Amino acid sequence: MDRQSLLPLLDARLPLTEEGVAEAARLAGVPLAQAWGVVRHYPRYRGLPQGRLLVDDPVARARGFARLLREADGTYPPMGLEALSPLFVRIEGKERYVEEGGRLVPFRDFRLPFALGQGERLLPPEPILNLRAYERVGGLQALRGLLGDAFSPHDLIQAVEEAGLLGRGGAAFPTHVKMRAVAQAPSPKYLVVNADESEPGNFKDRFLLEHHPFLVLEGALLAAHAVGAEKVFLYVRDEFAAAIQGLEQAIGELKEAGLLTKPTEVFHSGGLYICGEETALLESMEGKRAEPRLKPPFPVEKGLWGRPTLVQNVETLANLPLILKEGPAAWRLKEPKLFSISGDVARPGLYELPLGTPLGEALERAGGSPKELKAVLLGGAAGVFTRDFAVPLRYRERLPIGAGAIVAFGKEVDLWEVLLGLAHFFQEESCGKCFPCPLGTAIQVEMVKRRERSRALVHDLAQALKGSLCGLGQSAYWAYQSLLEVEDAA
Amino acid sequence: MRLNVNGQEVEAKEGALLLELVDVPTLCHHPHTETHGLCRLCLVEVEGRLVPACATQATEGMVVRTDTETLRSFRKTLLEWLALSTDLSLAPGLEELLLAYGADPGRWGEMPLTRKGRAPIRDNPFFLRDYAKCVNCRRCVDACGDGIMGVYALTLEGRGLLAHPTTPLDRPLPETPCVFCGNCVQVCPTGALRPLSLEV
Repeated sequence: MDRQSLLPLLDARLPLTEEGVAEAARLAGVPLAQAWGVVRHYPRYRGLPQGRLLVDDPVARARGFARLLREADGTYPPMGLEALSPLFVRIEGKERYVEEGGRLVPFRDFRLPFALGQGERLLPPEPILNLRAYERVGGLQALRGLLGDAFSPHDLIQAVEEAGLLGRGGAAFPTHVKMRAVAQAPSPKYLVVNADESEPGNFKDRFLLEHHPFLVLEGALLAAHAVGAEKVFLYVRDEFAAAIQGLEQAIGELKEAGLLTKPTEVFHSGGLYICGEETALLESMEGKRAEPRLKPPFPVEKGLWGRPTLVQNVETLANLPLILKEGPAAWRLKEPKLFSISGDVARPGLYELPLGTPLGEALERAGGSPKELKAVLLGGAAGVFTRDFAVPLRYRERLPIGAGAIVAFGKEVDLWEVLLGLAHFFQEESCGKCFPCPLGTAIQVEMVKRRERSRALVHDLAQALKGSLCGLGQSAYWAYQSLLEVEDAA
Repeated sequence: MRLNVNGQEVEAKEGALLLELVDVPTLCHHPHTETHGLCRLCLVEVEGRLVPACATQATEGMVVRTDTETLRSFRKTLLEWLALSTDLSLAPGLEELLLAYGADPGRWGEMPLTRKGRAPIRDNPFFLRDYAKCVNCRRCVDACGDGIMGVYALTLEGRGLLAHPTTPLDRPLPETPCVFCGNCVQVCPTGALRPLSLEV
C-alpha cells in the first residue's frame, strides 16, 4: 500500500481523544473532516456499548428474544457466533468477552468448536495450526509447484476455469474471470482476501481462518502469483481476534521458512456488515467510511488506492490448493461447498457438502428432520425462508444459497419474530449512502412489527429496495417476501 | 452517436451523460459537485438493468427506458418515503414530483425513525443548518470538500437513515475551517441550509 491507512492509525490511539483523531488524520495525510466522518461511522471508534449484551441473531430471535434481552444490557450484532444457541458477549472498557458455559472467554481466545460434519470431504479432518502439520497433509505442494515452474500462472487460472469455481462469498461470480482481468491489468496491483464474514447464520470463513490458516494463506499466495499482485491483504472482521492471532502466527511461520512469497498483512476490518461488500471494504482500507462505490469501475480495474485489485472470499481462495491437489476435473465432480447449519438440528456445525445436495439431505446430515421444522432460513439475513426441502443447494438454482448459511426453525418458532430481528439488522447495518436502503429498511421494520401482509405494499417495498446502490439494500426484503410465500403455502 | 430512448432515436455527443439526454428527476446530482448515484431517482433501465442516469455515459446503440411501470413505482415509493421521513416544505421541486407521481405517503403507516424532529442549528451569523429538512444528498459536503472549495469544514455523522452532515469534531462552524463562502447553501436542494437573511 502506497499510503498510510487511517484505520490502523486510529486503532493505535484507542480510546480516542480529539487530539488522537487529529494526529491520526495528520499522519494519514487526510483532512480532519474525513477522519471525523470515519470516527462517527465505525462502532469501535464511536465507543462500544458496555455491559452484558445479547447477540441479536436468528437463533436468539427464535428462543424468546424478549426474555433473553431482560438478562442483558443491550444487543450486539451477529458475527459468526450463532452456531449453537443464544449467546451473550460482555464488553468492559476495551476488553470483549464471549460468555460460554458460564465462563467469560476473551475474544482473543475464543474459537468456534471444531465441528466439521462427517462425510466425504476435501478439507483436512482436524485443525491444522502449524506449518509442519500442514505439510504433512500435502500442504504447500501447489505453491511449490507454481514457484518451481511445474505450472505457470496461466495454467493455474486455466485450472480454476476448468474447475468452474464460483466465488463463495455469496455472489457466485466466476473466479477465473476476475483473476484473468487482474492478471491482464497493469501493475501495481493487489490481492485482498475478504474475511469480513458478517452474514447472520454463517460461520464458514471464521472456521477456515481459525482452524485452517495455512490453507487460506496458500490459496491467497497462489492467487497473488497468478495475477501478479505485489501484496496480499487479509481484511479480517475485527472481532475474530483469535483468527487474526492465528493468521499472524501462520504468516510468521511461513516467513521464517522462506515460503511467504509475497508481502502479506492482516488488516483489521471496520467491524460492520457493510464492510464485506467489496467496494465498501476497499473504501475502509483506504481510510474512509465503509460505503459502497458506484460500479463500474469494478475493483479488478480500479480497486485499492485506484489500482487493479482482486478481492476474493476466504472459502474461494481456500479451494485453490484443493483444486490443484485433486485436479480440476476431480474437484469439479465433488464441487465442495461449506454450509453453516444451525438452529433446530441435533448437530449444528460446519458441513462440507457437494453443491446440488438437496436442502432436506443437508439438514438430515446435521441431525435435523424436515418434518419437524416450520421453515429454514437459507442464505442468512440476505436470504429466504423456505419449506422447499427438495431444492438443490446450488448457485443459480430457484433459491439463493448465498454464502451457505442454513438456519432451521422448529414448529413452535414464531418466524415473524425472527424476521423482525433480520429487519432490525438491515436497518442498523444500512450505511445510509444511497436513498432507498436506509429509508426502505426503516419502513420495513415498522411493516414487520405490525405484521403487514399486504402483497401490494410488500411488492412496492421490494421494487424500491431493488434500486439501492449495493447488495445490502437490494436483498433486504428477500426474507420478508419469502415468509409471506411460506405462509401462503402452509 | 445515436441511441434509443423510449423507442425514439436520439443523437448525442460522445461521452454525454444519460441525464443530459433524458427527462428524469434527480436530487443528489449537481453539475458543480461530484455527488452522483445516491438518490437513485434518476434510475433508468438499460438492457434490463437499473442504472443511474447521472453516472452512466451514453454509448452507441444503447437502448434506454426511462418511464416503465417499475421505474414509476420505484420513484413514487421513494418520494413517499422521503415525505414521511423528512420535512420537504422548502423543497418545492420535490413537492411537485410527489404530485406528479401520485404519491400517497400515508399508505406506509407510521415512520418512527424520522429526521423531522431535529432542531435547527444556529451557530453562525450567515446561515441555518436545519437537518430536519436534510435528505443526506451530500452535495454540501462535496461542495465544501473535493467538489468546489477544498476547505473540508463538513463531513458525515452516523449511518443509516439518521446519517447527516456535521462538522469536524462536531464543532460550531466558526470553529472549523469554514470560510463562509456559501457554496454549501447554494447547492442544497431542500432548504436544509438556508441564508438567515431569509428567516423572519
